[in-house]
Amino acid sequence: MSTDRDVTTRIVRSWLHEDAHEDADRILNLVLDEIDTTPQRRASWLARRFPRMNNNVVRFALVAAAVVLVAVVGFQYLGNANTGDPMPSETSQPSTTPVASGEPSAPADGSLPVGSSHILWDRSQDGATPNLGIKITLTIPAAGWFGDAKEGTLAKNGNVNAPDGAGLIVFARTNDLLLGSGDVYVYGDPCHWASTKPDSPVTTLDEAMAALSAQASRGASTPVDFTHDGYAGKYINLHVPDDAVFSDCDEGQFRTFVQGDDAPRYAQDPGQFDLLRVLNLNGQLVIFDVTHYAGTPASVLDELSAIVESATLEYAP
Amino acid sequence: MDTDLVKLAQNGDKGAFTALAAARADRYLAASHRILRDFSLAEDATQQALLSIWRDLPQLRDPARFDAWSYRLLVRACYAEASQTRRWTPNIRLLPADEPMAADELGTVVNRDQLDRGFRRLSLDHRTVVVLHHYLDLPLDEVAEALGIPVGTVASRLHYAMRALRAALDADARSTTRKAAQ
Repeated sequence: MSTDRDVTTRIVRSWLHEDAHEDADRILNLVLDEIDTTPQRRASWLARRFPRMNNNVVRFALVAAAVVLVAVVGFQYLGNANTGDPMPSETSQPSTTPVASGEPSAPADGSLPVGSSHILWDRSQDGATPNLGIKITLTIPAAGWFGDAKEGTLAKNGNVNAPDGAGLIVFARTNDLLLGSGDVYVYGDPCHWASTKPDSPVTTLDEAMAALSAQASRGASTPVDFTHDGYAGKYINLHVPDDAVFSDCDEGQFRTFVQGDDAPRYAQDPGQFDLLRVLNLNGQLVIFDVTHYAGTPASVLDELSAIVESATLEYAP
Repeated sequence: MDTDLVKLAQNGDKGAFTALAAARADRYLAASHRILRDFSLAEDATQQALLSIWRDLPQLRDPARFDAWSYRLLVRACYAEASQTRRWTPNIRLLPADEPMAADELGTVVNRDQLDRGFRRLSLDHRTVVVLHHYLDLPLDEVAEALGIPVGTVASRLHYAMRALRAALDADARSTTRKAAQ
């Protein structure tokens, strides 16, 4: 039987390798002529997380690339985040109820329709791989949320900057080369990150929380256990000091972690809160990073809480 | 794999891209030809894939993975071309009657025809896996990476495809045996 298979394999391979005189010179010349008028898409993996960006948003988006930390944390905390008093609860309910009836119409301003489902990294939009190994679907509860179905970000009014921005960015290992992959390394000091990258990545919830809690140059809350969509997780609130001077930091960046070698998550502005809700999806860490500021309106935090709480996760490696 | 060339091309160096493309274009065309079973479609797919590679190259995060990434774009272009045609045109270019035939295991014209027909009957998904693995010699994990599917799915598709091709050859053998017995 195995011999039959071997013979078939040899025959098929021989047949496939028959010389068919395929000469691509003509095609190559056409392409080389065309690239003169075909601009490259400049490093969009760096910026794809937030499509409507000013410079600061780009900085926020630079973060996104590989590791997915799903910050589904603390909805009630979000409601009280302005006070710096996190009180997340497993049983908390979103203060804004998503509207999901029929097919929502798309607003003219390009924001996501209220009640629509937003799929993170929906690469089918550009014909890319249909299976990223993980699928996260969110429901949009209110108007004014901008996102990119292909890139996996959300921001209220496209603004994630101080003093009142709010947004969600998710990191996870996927199958997609463009989204990246790799382990998460938590820097010892977000300001002096260049010399404080650990030798080993964080691979468990406890390791992630321990590393985040121990970071220098910033404040952090006590990690709390929670579950979301049947997956165990831990969340922690991180705060960038109000008087932090990013220009004094390595390369002017205040970095929390990096996925792989080239996908750092770094802060937008001093005073930024990051609610990191880390889930364990069958051994893969997924990070929801909910970004907001002391000036972010409570109503926006409620919406963000509802979005995070609506997340459904499918894991299919 | 010259990662320096890839990095240069990522930064818009057309000379570096030309070198990368020239070294691979024939292989891309041959692979897409075998996947699509149509030379014109294969040319279009190769052209689109090369343009996509140029356009999206700055988005490739790891230059060392250029080949796997480029195969993904090639496969994507093949799927796009296949979706634009409902009809598979007869193709004699891959198996031209006037090509010299070596006295190898492939043997007879009948075998080639049987293989060709069997291969055409495979789905696009299955043909793609066979070509990536048995023509481009990618190991299963790299096929999975190129297609963005689990390795188990690759193995399953390959198993199904090879079983179908074996059946096509077996049918040919039975037919030949019956004719000889008559």
